[in-house]
Amino acid sequence: MFSGRKPHPARETEGDGFAGATLEFLDSLYGAALRLTRNADRAQDLVQDTYLKAIRARQSFAEGTNLKAWLYTILHNTWRNRQRDGARSRVEFDSDAVERSDESGRLRASRFGEPGWGETPESLLLRKTLNADLQAALDGLAESFREVVWLRDVDDLTYQEIADVLDIPIGTVMSRLSRGRRQLYDALIKRR
Amino acid sequence: MTCEQVEQQLPAYVDGTLTDRRAIAAHLETCEECRASAHAQSVARTVLRARAAELTQMAPPGLRTRVVANLPQGLKTSRPQDLKASRPQDLGWTGQLSAFAAALMFVLVVGAVLLPVATVRSTVVLAAQLALDHLKCFTIEGDADGTPIAKAQAERTLKEEYDFEVTVPAPLPDQHLELMAVRRCLYGDGRAAHLMYRLNGEPVSLFVIPGVTHPAEELSLFGHDQVVWTAGDRTYMLIARGGTRADLNRVASHLRTEAK
Repeated sequence: MFSGRKPHPARETEGDGFAGATLEFLDSLYGAALRLTRNADRAQDLVQDTYLKAIRARQSFAEGTNLKAWLYTILHNTWRNRQRDGARSRVEFDSDAVERSDESGRLRASRFGEPGWGETPESLLLRKTLNADLQAALDGLAESFREVVWLRDVDDLTYQEIADVLDIPIGTVMSRLSRGRRQLYDALIKRR
Repeated sequence: MTCEQVEQQLPAYVDGTLTDRRAIAAHLETCEECRASAHAQSVARTVLRARAAELTQMAPPGLRTRVVANLPQGLKTSRPQDLKASRPQDLGWTGQLSAFAAALMFVLVVGAVLLPVATVRSTVVLAAQLALDHLKCFTIEGDADGTPIAKAQAERTLKEEYDFEVTVPAPLPDQHLELMAVRRCLYGDGRAAHLMYRLNGEPVSLFVIPGVTHPAEELSLFGHDQVVWTAGDRTYMLIARGGTRADLNRVASHLRTEAK
């Protein structure tokens, strides 16, 4: 039997405010779904499922905490469960293998030119990086790195929130963030 | 401190969230590699934060419409942009549809936004919605090279993922009926379970819908064959295309006996 608890009338009003608040993050959630699924149909599917689950589980959301992070957690959870139960046999992406690979050599080798007078490397890159280049550089990152970097530097989640969303230890968040940002920098430098 | 230890703390150092910066700062003064790493991270972060708004992808309008339609009653607004009908291409399908089917889908999507499905009693509209789900779900999930799943796993997924208690009819290998996947139905109010089978390689869907009752009937919609029945407080709808009506009936009685 389906468990369908009828919401108490008073709670239904709260629920509407809650539902409205979740809609604000539709674009971000779709972006996240697209990064994970790499497919527009699957991304929409994943987002719809996320919202249905979020509404059903709204009692478990702690008022005053980060609603976006909470929604992201549901989305990533759903995605991980699908990966695990997939009807199609999928090649497991070994993110650990990527992390173990020697990347320190790449940074040693890269040498960037000195910035122009009065210009910092940051402002130079900011000015010269087109959105398409930036998106392409991000797409080129290993998935496990990209997601951490995105959640931190685009979505502004705390390290603990990221750990909760991705269901990984906070130490792993830090090392992936470190490597992911460096990889992104390398990719941006190459594109100049 | 080793470079490895420093690397763990560099993001916090770069972000300004590290409380005691002295140890890292001292290391960076003497270690060129870590200094380069800190610099690279700082630049990457700056660029991303500056472009954060542009990096966020806009959700397609059809998606927004469907999400709004599935939210609790009070949220349904009458603002024109929320009720804007999605044209078939907004749904992002790659499946092939006849012009007739596409036109009907247009009508149905609008209907789903304007009327909560729970109040829709028409078997034809419900059947058409599920026929669309049947097509779409097989397009995005059920490719020919998919691996069948076990009945027990299917029931567990429905229970854990979607909170549905459903007895999933077992596949029949000797009759070429395979169980491919289970999921939540995207259309309607999202409470239907969608059990995806293959019969002789052709997609067959069994939908389990709570609390809605219709007389048992056989319909033909979008070139699909459908069988509808009710049992207890649930309605079942079997949808298939291709194959013979006889094949479908044979399978229907098996599914009908087992589905709970």
